[in-house]
This record gives sequence, structure tokens and C-alpha cells, in this order.
Amino acid sequence: MQRALTVCPYCGTGCMLHLVSDSGRLVGVEPSATHPVNRGSLCIKGWNAFAFVAHPERLTRPLIRKNGALVPAGWDEALERVVTGIRAVQGTSGKDSVMFAASAKATNEENFLLMKLARRVFGTNNIDHCARLCHSSTVTGLVQMFGSGAMTNSIDCFDKSDLIFVIGSNTTEQHPLIGTRIMNAVRRGTKLIVADNRCIRLSRHADLHLRHKNGSDVPLLSAMMQTIVSEGLADTEFISARTENYGALVESLAGWSPEMAASITGLAAEEIVQAARMFAGARSAMIVYAMGITQHSHGVDNVRCCANLAMLTGNIGRPGTGVNPLRGQNNVQGACDMGALPDMYSGYQRAADPDVRSKFALAWGGEPLPDTPGLPLTLAMNAAHSGSIRAMFIMGENPILSDPDQGHARAALERLDLLVVQDIFLTETARMADVVLPAACYAEKDGTFTSTERRVQLLRKACDPPGDARPDWQIIAALAKSAGYSGMEYNGTAEIMEEISRLSPIYGGISHDRLTPYGLQWPCPDHNHPGTPILHVKGFSRGVGRFMPVAYRGPAEIPDKEYPLTLTTGRTYFHWHTGSMTRRSHLLEREEREGFVEVNPADAGRINLRDGESVVVSSRRGKVFVRARLTEIVPEGVLFMPFHFAENAANALTNNVLDQESHIPEFKICAVRMERVP
Amino acid sequence: MPRADSCQSRSLYIPRDATILSVTELTSREKLFRLRLSDGSELKHLPGQFIQLSILGYGEAPISVASPPTRQGYFELGIRRVGSLTTAMHALKRGDKVGIRGPYGTPFDLGSMGGKDLLLISGGCGLAPMRSLIQYAADRKSEFGRVTILYGARSPDQLLFREDLDKWETISGFACSYTVDSREGDGCYSGSTGLITDLIRPIELSPAETEAVIVGPPAMYTPVIAALKEKGLSSQQISLSLERQMRCGVGKCGHCSIEHLYCCQDGPVFRLNVIEHLHGAL
Amino acid sequence: MKRLTQDELLQFLKSWETCYDLRVPILLPDGGRAICRLADGPLAMHGGSVPAKPTSLFFPQDGLVFAAGANGYLERVDTEKRLFIIGLTPTDLQCLRFIDRFFSTGERDDLYFASRDKAIIAVVSGYCGRDGEFIPPSSGSCDLELYHDGIDWLLMPYSDEGRELAASFNAGDEVVSLESVHGKAVHPPSAEQEVVLAAAAILQETELPDAFWDEIGEHCIQCSGCNLTCPTCTCFGVQDWCYGEHTERRRVWDSCQLAGFMREAGGHNPLATAGQRSRRRIHHKLVADMSRWGEIGCFVCGRCDLACPTGIGIIAVSREIVTRFGMPDDNSKRD
Repeated sequence: MQRALTVCPYCGTGCMLHLVSDSGRLVGVEPSATHPVNRGSLCIKGWNAFAFVAHPERLTRPLIRKNGALVPAGWDEALERVVTGIRAVQGTSGKDSVMFAASAKATNEENFLLMKLARRVFGTNNIDHCARLCHSSTVTGLVQMFGSGAMTNSIDCFDKSDLIFVIGSNTTEQHPLIGTRIMNAVRRGTKLIVADNRCIRLSRHADLHLRHKNGSDVPLLSAMMQTIVSEGLADTEFISARTENYGALVESLAGWSPEMAASITGLAAEEIVQAARMFAGARSAMIVYAMGITQHSHGVDNVRCCANLAMLTGNIGRPGTGVNPLRGQNNVQGACDMGALPDMYSGYQRAADPDVRSKFALAWGGEPLPDTPGLPLTLAMNAAHSGSIRAMFIMGENPILSDPDQGHARAALERLDLLVVQDIFLTETARMADVVLPAACYAEKDGTFTSTERRVQLLRKACDPPGDARPDWQIIAALAKSAGYSGMEYNGTAEIMEEISRLSPIYGGISHDRLTPYGLQWPCPDHNHPGTPILHVKGFSRGVGRFMPVAYRGPAEIPDKEYPLTLTTGRTYFHWHTGSMTRRSHLLEREEREGFVEVNPADAGRINLRDGESVVVSSRRGKVFVRARLTEIVPEGVLFMPFHFAENAANALTNNVLDQESHIPEFKICAVRMERVP
Repeated sequence: MPRADSCQSRSLYIPRDATILSVTELTSREKLFRLRLSDGSELKHLPGQFIQLSILGYGEAPISVASPPTRQGYFELGIRRVGSLTTAMHALKRGDKVGIRGPYGTPFDLGSMGGKDLLLISGGCGLAPMRSLIQYAADRKSEFGRVTILYGARSPDQLLFREDLDKWETISGFACSYTVDSREGDGCYSGSTGLITDLIRPIELSPAETEAVIVGPPAMYTPVIAALKEKGLSSQQISLSLERQMRCGVGKCGHCSIEHLYCCQDGPVFRLNVIEHLHGAL
Repeated sequence: MKRLTQDELLQFLKSWETCYDLRVPILLPDGGRAICRLADGPLAMHGGSVPAKPTSLFFPQDGLVFAAGANGYLERVDTEKRLFIIGLTPTDLQCLRFIDRFFSTGERDDLYFASRDKAIIAVVSGYCGRDGEFIPPSSGSCDLELYHDGIDWLLMPYSDEGRELAASFNAGDEVVSLESVHGKAVHPPSAEQEVVLAAAAILQETELPDAFWDEIGEHCIQCSGCNLTCPTCTCFGVQDWCYGEHTERRRVWDSCQLAGFMREAGGHNPLATAGQRSRRRIHHKLVADMSRWGEIGCFVCGRCDLACPTGIGIIAVSREIVTRFGMPDDNSKRD
């Protein structure tokens, strides 16, 4: 039995594991016993990370739509069809009528190549990926204030903090091994504040649980800051030495008395004051957040409040402190780092900057690179719906289940002239494609993933891809070649990383041979640099930290007579996003076979609903049949649904309203009603 | 390509082929399958035992045998459609083949039941395994005393083996009564309504001469046991068959363990005194 | 019995590679260790037990039960070469013996024994534990033992096959006996063994309050790591995969810490709460196994405590039990 040390393909924690194989077939998983992040443990998804790889439904041959049906085809024909299809669309509707969706499940090398393919080969900045749906608010907000959009601290910092403030992160479910760090820290005496209106597992371990109303993070955080300022608990030394614009913050907080915030959040004023005092009183305090902060029509404002709070109390640049957005996907950090973003090249170099463009142009053969701004993914879906995007190339994403307002997403994709999907299974989105390209999964290739703590780690091939499936990077390189571009021929992924590091200063010192055993944390500017566990230690990436005042705006859709309940969506421990891998993993599927809606018993009582019965949940956009779970986890008036299940798709209901700055959809709040199934 | 036969002797986990002889619809979600091992041999089971039913592509599930070994040439399985395997089974027809492993498990203690009055209480699809014992007793009437059959289902349309129930009532020395929780959905139903325990109360029995057997859904055990104890029966005189999710049937997979016992080997039929003090048994 | 230098040991191992499917402890790229082939990495005899459970050598996390084609079941292809496994510790050997008995009692699990029956086992002991820690020698119920005296390896054959293997290797000095090197040392139980035994004694006598198990369960995130690393855990589930007309039935390790483990098709679940599942995990090893097999099912190898991300492995839970429910005079009672 052989072992290949690689990186878990699920969340952004970045656990490493050994894939165990026997005669070329995966037969199990073993956690890395020595890895500094997972230290010999894994969560249930990690322990089952091998389980979907040899699934009979893996895509093994390219598929092309002929007479309405997807039929097997050879690689040459499929690649040719993609290239001519894109060229034809661009010929009639312009270069920017095509959209490329990169993948937070693919490697850095692959995302970099798709970015290069979009910009260099097809001449468009229209490239983005699912970070748009999860942490675009973070990147937008933190770049403005700190100069870097990433988690400021390291996972090790959870062991060194006096107080952990978790807001909008169900950490034990979504980043289980980080969640357990928090649980263990609490047992050792670290204080824990959880702000979440669901009774998540961490809330049962918390010193203070704030069940503020959905969408009221800005009032809660503002009132905490106002309390800190008015009680003289702010870190004035840090503020004067390290930050700017403090006056504007103080001014903006003026009206946020605890009582005022209490009236909006539904909390008691004392709870807010207590939270403020606990947070400001800790020697080192960490803010941990995820989708509960970002996925709002005011997501960037939420992020700003978190960053303001951290700077106000001097909790930046030291162990056990920081603003710590937990990145969801195994490589969503890397996909951002690689410039799979409409406005950035790799290493967050702005596409609008002519010097950046000419640097990349020079490296890629001289031809000028596009200067028209690219479209974010969510706007591209809208543009497909309205007809200005005519072709889409989607690598490893499943927007039919993952995007807001499923009806809208489906209609948008149906209107395209060309839809190409590159994936490992025939997902709900791939079923709609004109060309399907079969990809190798994480276990079948080499490359790197970058975890939430900016740790660039090596994955190693454990087995061959099924049939004719190929690693994404080889498919992209072949597409480039087929399109007549000769600058994408690589002997391996290490060579691609060499190009990335040459062109991207934060990855300047990163090469595959430096990544054994536990990777390197960027920024890593040169080949002798040990990596950077904590950002903004001496100065902020942008020099000084900038306070940004925030004005409160409520959610876009609030309950009314017709739709009297608030629906919030999220994930469960056993499944991953649209379920294409976890629902094909024996034990994970056994644990959670179908979708559910969490209903407070009081709401259930009103319609005489019993536990386990089916309901119809409907919003202005659609309706879903789903089994009800009666539970006190959700407060009265709030329903919770996971979005993993095609049969009960939560995103048939969600609201496709976007944050104006980050273009993230408001997945966390929409108004619904619930009826018993007759 | 080597045939199955060559390795049937080799692996414990390779099923034997069985052919479906007939399919009878019992309710909207239960069917009775009559099968025969394809090699013509008898199953050689005893009442209370189960087999692992295997359909390639769908895995395996434990199913109690619903017919007695006294009736040769076939065996019967009453199967409720609940998951993917049983749904696949329901789609099969006469002549189709399935896999069978077993029989497995500890059967009803026919030895100590000999000469005794039998009080056989079942609920829901628990009547399927009980039917094996009832028909056994009917076929070997001289070996037993009086046989009293009590059966409860949720509603009239969920009563299993109604023809059998009516037939058993006519056998001399047999008494059979059944009840439903609610007559909802069947206006024509003229039988009794109420809980299974309502059927137990009026029964007159001689405690020393009686062996009671309970097979039913988990919720049934506690009230029925209480009712039997009121009648003067001791735990040693009460047997029950427990339902667990056996995956292997041979005490290896661990899914059916009850403390130190394995339901698939030490059970599924247990004497109450053996398990009543075990955590999680009932 | 022979004395081998590290080089001679490597020679000895290499000499069997052609005749056997040789498995040895190797160093993995992350600094961890696993029992693999010699070609898979540098030999790493030091470090004690490897993290993977010993039974995984014969019964992988996901293994074939049988395959069937259009014309029926396909014959199992057993590996040509016999396994020759080096690197289990004496504790691992105890676990293996426990599971050998489990799989051979009643119906014999032919899948497990297909490779187990023919396997040659060489345990390691002596000064080659974690950080050079001393591993007490085995009681000899294996084919060979490699005892590290701090410098060299003493090769002690126990079975006939072991003697043949040792005899046919020409290098190495002959030594009289282990006792001549090691002395007749008595190895008292470790503190961990003491505490697990004490917890077992408490649980065998008393039923702890549900609240205790609920508290343990509250810390369980259902990772399944305790079961998946436990050398005496063997629970599995079954799944069928159809590749066209080729069907594979496979068995996959399962975990009693998962809510779906005992959930019945009808919805009833004898292990419905995290507390019940935590109780089952500990009780099964310390009480149920004692009732069924006459010995507890935990050999205190420490794997579940290492794998558990929240510190509720069996040793940690045993400590809690002894601290909270142990009698003050517990120590004297056990003597």
C-alpha cells in the first residue's frame, strides 16, 4: 500500500493527509501526524476524502452536445469545438462577450493558467470564480483598510489568544479542525464570544452568545465600538502610531448607543456592553468570521466593522489577534492569489495598472493585454441573462446549485450560445453544457493549494485519472495550443509555479521544491524568505491601517405579510457545497441523505407541523419541498436551509441582490413563507 | 471468465442465487416475495431467522424469513419499501434473480415452546417474521398448546397478511385478533380499533404454561412487555425479535451490537431476561 | 538469535524482498511513518507504533468484498506473495491477536484471513520507541522479533518460519538469548494503562450518569478518527459500485460515533445522541468486550487520543472517569 502526502480537497483549513492506495486504487486516508495545522487529526470529510475518487459516475471522456444530447467525443474534437465556439462568439459579439469561471477547487497552477488563457489567449478580463460568492466582501474591505485581503493571522494563533470572537462562522461545521482549536482553547481558559443567531455548537461552549437578528452585524459591532470609545477602552497608542482616519470612525459611531443597537439587534444593551468590555479587555483578541459577515448586500460594511474593531483595540499584528476571515474552499485563497479575478492579475496586481499589464504582456510574448475592466461572476450571470455574455467557460463550479436565485441562473445559462463545463462529475450545470471536458480530481494530479492562513501546500498525485480525464492544467494548456498560442507548454506544474513566482511578488520565493513538508505562508518574496505567519506586524501592507466609517443599511428583503419568515442558508458538516463529491461518498451521504429546513417549534406550532414532516418553503423567486427539522437551533421567525441538495435547492429561494462594492449576493437573508404539504 | 460457483465456497460474503417464484402485493408499500434457491436446495432456516438479501448495485439488507421451514420448495420474504435496495426489490418480477446469504441468527426457541401455549404478538411489519412461527405451529399443531395471535397495524390499509389472519382464526386451537390505531382511509374496515395492548388485556392465560413472543416496531416493546407482566408472565417466558441494521449477518460489521451481544448472531430473537437490563436494547 | 547492525538489518530485509511482499516502517515526506514497501521511502525502524492500525494491512479502509461481471461473481485474485510485515509493536500484536479471534469466531471472515493467514509478522521492541523510548519485548506470539538494544538489532525467531528466516540469513553475530542482553526485567503497566484499567473497573461496576456521557459527546465533532485509528475497531458498511456490467461490492470502515451508524431504515436510532455514542465507544471496549471476550478491547496504544481533535480519546476519558468517579482508595484495591 502506497501513500501520497497531499492536501484535503474540502475546506480552506489546509489539513494534509496521506492518500493510501493499493495497485493504483485509493483505499483510504491517513491524517498527516506531524502537520502543524491538523496534527494527526481530520474531520469526517477529510477521513472520507478518498471515497468519491473512483466513483462510477466520474467523467471519463469529453462530451459534446449533438442533436440535443451529450455524446462522447475525442479530445481533439472537443478542444476544437471549444476554441472555435469561443472565437465565433467573440467574432460576432466582441471579446468581452465570453466569461471564464475559474475554480477554488483547482490548483494555483490551474487557476493561473485559466487566467492566462482568458487574458492572453482570448483577450478578456472576464475571469472570476466563486470567491465572488464567499469572500469578495473581505477582499474589497480589507484591501482598502489593511492593504491585504487575506486572513491576517495563522491557525496557530487560536492557541495563543485570550479571547476569540466568532461572528458569522459555524466553525466546527465548516472549518472543523479550526473549530476544534477554538473548543480546545476554551477548555484551557480562552474566552469565547459567539455572535450568531443560530445555536451553533460553538455557542454552547461560549462565555457569551449573542443571538442578534440576521443582518444586524453593523449595529452590533458599531455599538461595541462606541462602548469601547466612550469607556476609554480603545488602544490609543496603537491608533495613533499605526492608523489613520480615526476621527471619522469616532464621528460615525456617535449615535450607536448600546440601547440603540439593542433595538435593532434584538439583544439586551447589557449584552452588547459586556461583549465590548470583554473584547477590549483581552490582551489579545481574535475576530473570526466567514459567510455570516460577507454574504450580505452590505457585506463590505460588515467586514469594515470587523477591521475597525480590531484596529480600535490594537488587535492586529500580534500572535493571537487579527481579523481572520476563514476562507471556505480548499483553494479559494489561491484562486484569488492567482488573479482569477476580473480586476487583478496574480499577486493582487491591478489589471487597471498599465505597468502591470505591460509586465505580464512582456512575459507572455509581447502582445498587449486587454484593458477593458472585467466582469465579476455575479454580474456576468446577469449579463448572460440579459444577453451581453454569450459564452461561458466554467471550470469546476456548479452555479445551478451555488448561485442565488436558481431560476435566474438556469435561465442565464440556457440563453448562452456556448457553455463549456470542465468538471469531474456531470453536475447539474454540466448537464446543460455544449461541451463537457473531463478533469482529473485532486488525487490524480500535482500542484499547490493555498489555505486560509495563506499556506501554499503541495498536493501529490496518488492515482491516475479515470479514462481519458486529464488534469485541468493540461486541458487549459491544450486549449491554448489549439487556439494557436505557443506560450503555454509546460513539462509539469512546478514549471507553472516558476512562472507564477516570477510574476507575482507575494509568491516570489515559492517553488515546489521548497514546499515539503508543510508549505510556506505568503507573502514570501524571495527564495530565502521563511514565509509570513502574521501580517501587518510592523506596518500594514498599505502603510498605516485606515479606519472606515460605516453607515447601517438593513437587508434588502425583510419579512412581510406575504413572506413572513427570514430564510438563512448555509452548509452542514457532512456535505460540501453542491455535493458533487460528498454526496458520492458513502458515509457522508449516509449521514445526511436529503435537505432539511430548521424550524423553530413556535413557528412549527402555528401550522401544526411535526418534526420530519415535509413543507413547502417559497420566496418571491421559487419554492422548495423539504423535510422540516424542529429545533431550537434557529430562533423564532428564522428558517435555516443548507444549499447542498439538488432535490431541495435552497438557492431556488435566495435573493440575487448584490453588495454594490463587492458584488456578493445576499445569501444569508431573504423573506419566505412555509406551508405544510397537504 | 470463472463462474460464481467456483468461489461460492470461498467467500462468506458471496450470496447464493435465488429466483423469484411469485410476488404478492400486501399493502401499498409491502410485498411478499416467494423465492427458491436457484440450485434447488432448501434454505434450511428456522422461524425467527433472517437472510441477507443482496441485489447487485444496491448492496444488502437483512430480511426476516416470513415462511416456515415446514413448507418446502420455497421461502418467503415480506419486504417494505423504505430505501434504495428495497425499492429495487419491489421493481423485480417473477423469474428475476437476487442474492441470498444465510439463514443467520438465533431462531425462536422452539424447544422450550414445545407443549406450551403460545401468545404471539406483533405489530407493523413484525408480522412477517412472526408468520414463519405461526405457520410452523399450524403445520405442527400437535407440538404446541393453544396459539393466540395478536396483531396491530397503524391503519386498515397497512394490515399485512389479512387473508392469513382470517385463515388462522379458523384453525382449531388458534385464536387470532387484530387491531388498527386508526381506521383512517378505509371506511369499510369493520375490525377493531385501538392499541395492541387493548387486545392483550382481555386474554385469559395460564402463566405457567405460556410462552409469549413479541415482534414489532421499537415503540411497541415497552407497553406490551408491561401488559404481559401484568398477566403474570416472567421475563424468561417472553421472547422478542429485535430489528437492527445488520450489514453482514455474521457478527463482523458491528452495526447491530447491543452492549456485548450481536443482534445478528445472539439474536435477533432474545429472551427478555437476557436483554432487558442492557443499555439501548429496547 | 542474531545481532545485526543497522546495515545488516537492511541487508536482511532486502534479502526477502523477492520472496515476500515485504512491508517495513518507512519515513514519509511529512516526517511521519507508515508500514509500506522498502522502495516507498527510507527505512524508519525507530518511533514505535505507526499511526495506521495494524489490521489495515489485511483489511483496508475501503476494500473489495467481491466483484461480479455479466456472467457472475469473479474469483478473488489473491496476491502471489505472502506478506512479511516488520514494524508492529508488541502492543500492536496484542491488538492483532484480539482481532484475529474476533474475525475467526463463528463465521470466519475469509476476506481478512486471505492475507492475514499467510502473513509473517516481525515485531520491533527495545530502545526504538517514540524519542528512543523503551518498548518492552513481546511475549513471543509472532514469527520474529527485532529488539533494539540501543545500538544493534537482536533478531529473535519464535516460530518455525521465523527460525528458518533467521537461519538462512548468513550475516550477523550469534547471541545466546534476549535475557542475556536485556535481563529478566519486569515491565510495570504504564500510567496510561493503569488509568484505562481503573476506568474499566469503574464502568464494569457502575453505570455513569447520562450527563457525563452527554458532556463527552458535546466535545465530539463526529470525525470518526477514534474508530478509524483504533486497532480493535472493525465496524464496516457495504457499498456497491457498478461500472457498466462490472459491479464491485466493497466494505468501508464505519464509525459508531456517527449518528447514521445504527439508524434503522424506519428512522429508529438506538444511538441517537452524541452522549449515547460516546458511551458506546468507551463501554464497548471496557465493558462489553470484557463480557464477550474476557478481556478489555483497549490495549492502550494511544492512537485514538492522538487522532481525536478535541481530546476525548479513551485515555483522556478514562482519566475523567477515574478523577470524577474513582474511589479514593482505588489504587490499593487494584493491587
